[in-house]
Amino acid sequence: MAYFQCNFFSPTLCFNTDINVIIPTPNSDEILNHKKSDYLSDGAKFQVLYLLHGAYGDYSDWMRLTSIEKYAQEHKLAVVMPSASNSFYQNMYRGSDYMTYILDELPAFVNSLFPISRKRENTFVAGLSMGGYGALKMAFEKPEQYAACASLSGAVDFTGIVKAIENGEISGPFRWNHIFEHPEAVEGSDADLFALARKRITEGRTLPRIFQTCGTEDFIYPQNVHAHQVFEEIGLDLTYEEHPGIHDWDYWDTHIRRVIEWLPLANDSVRE
Amino acid sequence: MASAGERFGKRIRRIKMAHIQCGFYSPSLEKNANITVFIPTLNADDYLIGTDLHYGMEGGKYQTLYLLHGSYGGCTDWSLLANVERYAQARALAVVMPSGENSSYINMDKGEAYLTYISEELPEFLAKIFPLSTAREDTFIAGLSMGGYGAFRCALEKPHRYGYAAALSGGLDMQALQASSEEHMQKMPVNYGNAVFADRYHIEGTDDDLSALLAKRVHEKAVLPELYMTCGTEDFIRPTNEKFYSDAEKLGASVTYERAHGIHDWDFWDSHIREVIHRLPCCGDLKK
Repeated sequence: MAYFQCNFFSPTLCFNTDINVIIPTPNSDEILNHKKSDYLSDGAKFQVLYLLHGAYGDYSDWMRLTSIEKYAQEHKLAVVMPSASNSFYQNMYRGSDYMTYILDELPAFVNSLFPISRKRENTFVAGLSMGGYGALKMAFEKPEQYAACASLSGAVDFTGIVKAIENGEISGPFRWNHIFEHPEAVEGSDADLFALARKRITEGRTLPRIFQTCGTEDFIYPQNVHAHQVFEEIGLDLTYEEHPGIHDWDYWDTHIRRVIEWLPLANDSVRE
Repeated sequence: MASAGERFGKRIRRIKMAHIQCGFYSPSLEKNANITVFIPTLNADDYLIGTDLHYGMEGGKYQTLYLLHGSYGGCTDWSLLANVERYAQARALAVVMPSGENSSYINMDKGEAYLTYISEELPEFLAKIFPLSTAREDTFIAGLSMGGYGAFRCALEKPHRYGYAAALSGGLDMQALQASSEEHMQKMPVNYGNAVFADRYHIEGTDDDLSALLAKRVHEKAVLPELYMTCGTEDFIRPTNEKFYSDAEKLGASVTYERAHGIHDWDFWDSHIREVIHRLPCCGDLKK
């Protein structure tokens, strides 16, 4: 297992930014337990999971607070973890273009440096909370780039979240008038996942398979129940799970494993 | 918009560097290892002027400098205490900075196989991860003090792997250093000396003796990397440089030696690694 903490200049963001990258490489566990360890051959590429943090977080969260490195190694999956500040993964009206950075620049950057597959069938995106929204937003923005997408405790009912934060029912660090030119008009816009998914279906485009999971004691659970109904109505290829749990890293550490088991993995390096 | 392929051979005027900290399991060390890596990436102008992100490299590879720290050091020294990133950036050169503990970068008699790690495992491993060339003419090695010894040792052990090797204030006379009773040598970790060498007081004539190793290669008529050495005229380690250079001259080996004002410190290494990187046969771009 190799991890890479990488600081580089992002022309899209116009500043230096950090990512963590995990690449499966033969490790002591495989040697001691006589497991498969011949996958890092010349020209080998890996399937990749883009993994997004939540509000208040950054690129380091998933590696520090879960065992994602171990899970990725077990399944021979590369993982790329970027930072998006509290942007809600938008191209901010007053701020930086985080969606363009993660959707367009980041795959081009990591593909140029690391042995990561460029094929749709090998490219996945997932995230928690704000990052669950971000993962779905990416999947609906560029459905031809991702084979599968997972939201863990995601802020999936976006207009509901905006209203709940404005009403003080949920707290959040989001400055809506920095993120959107017209925060009052997000419903029905491309920031509204329901509207964006409907638009793509109308366009006749094939959407990625979706995995949605949320803790039944999570404050965001009612919104996930609602979003589940809407996604079913829209006709997404959706796997829905709910389990006892709240909005915390115990839930995400447990259920990112479920996500990885659900992904269409080769459990090996791939060739292109 | 020029494709990446059309850009090969043209000099990228201003590039940026990605600064990467890596941790991974090393089979030859039989433990986890850390390295720091700089890899050229695109600049703001490419993006702001163009309409394309230009990240596609279509099989292009970077020339690579392996850069070794000194005793008491580690894989972050060069990136923290000198301006290697800027100097390498100007030449589109990737830089790999490993940790060698106090091993002198050899396969320790009672310890880890650092020579194998630095000269074989690391280049082969990194070529599978990053776009780095492993061709001899694209692979360079340099280091300071103990790392200067390490750079020449790797270059003389595996001359077919390196196009250029540089020692800055190198500990180039290991026999004298290990036997020295001078105060600065007494501060060196004694237990390490005992672990590194089979017999630290009988190095002369063995492969741990760079002059003897150079003589062996000269007699074999091996094609050697370009060898460059520099040392401060006030540096305590200067006598080891004079000894090695005089041995090399007697052997008729081609070694460039530059003496400059300075002592055994980062002021010297920062200004002289700049000189070394300037001298490296860099093409200034990706190589196909």
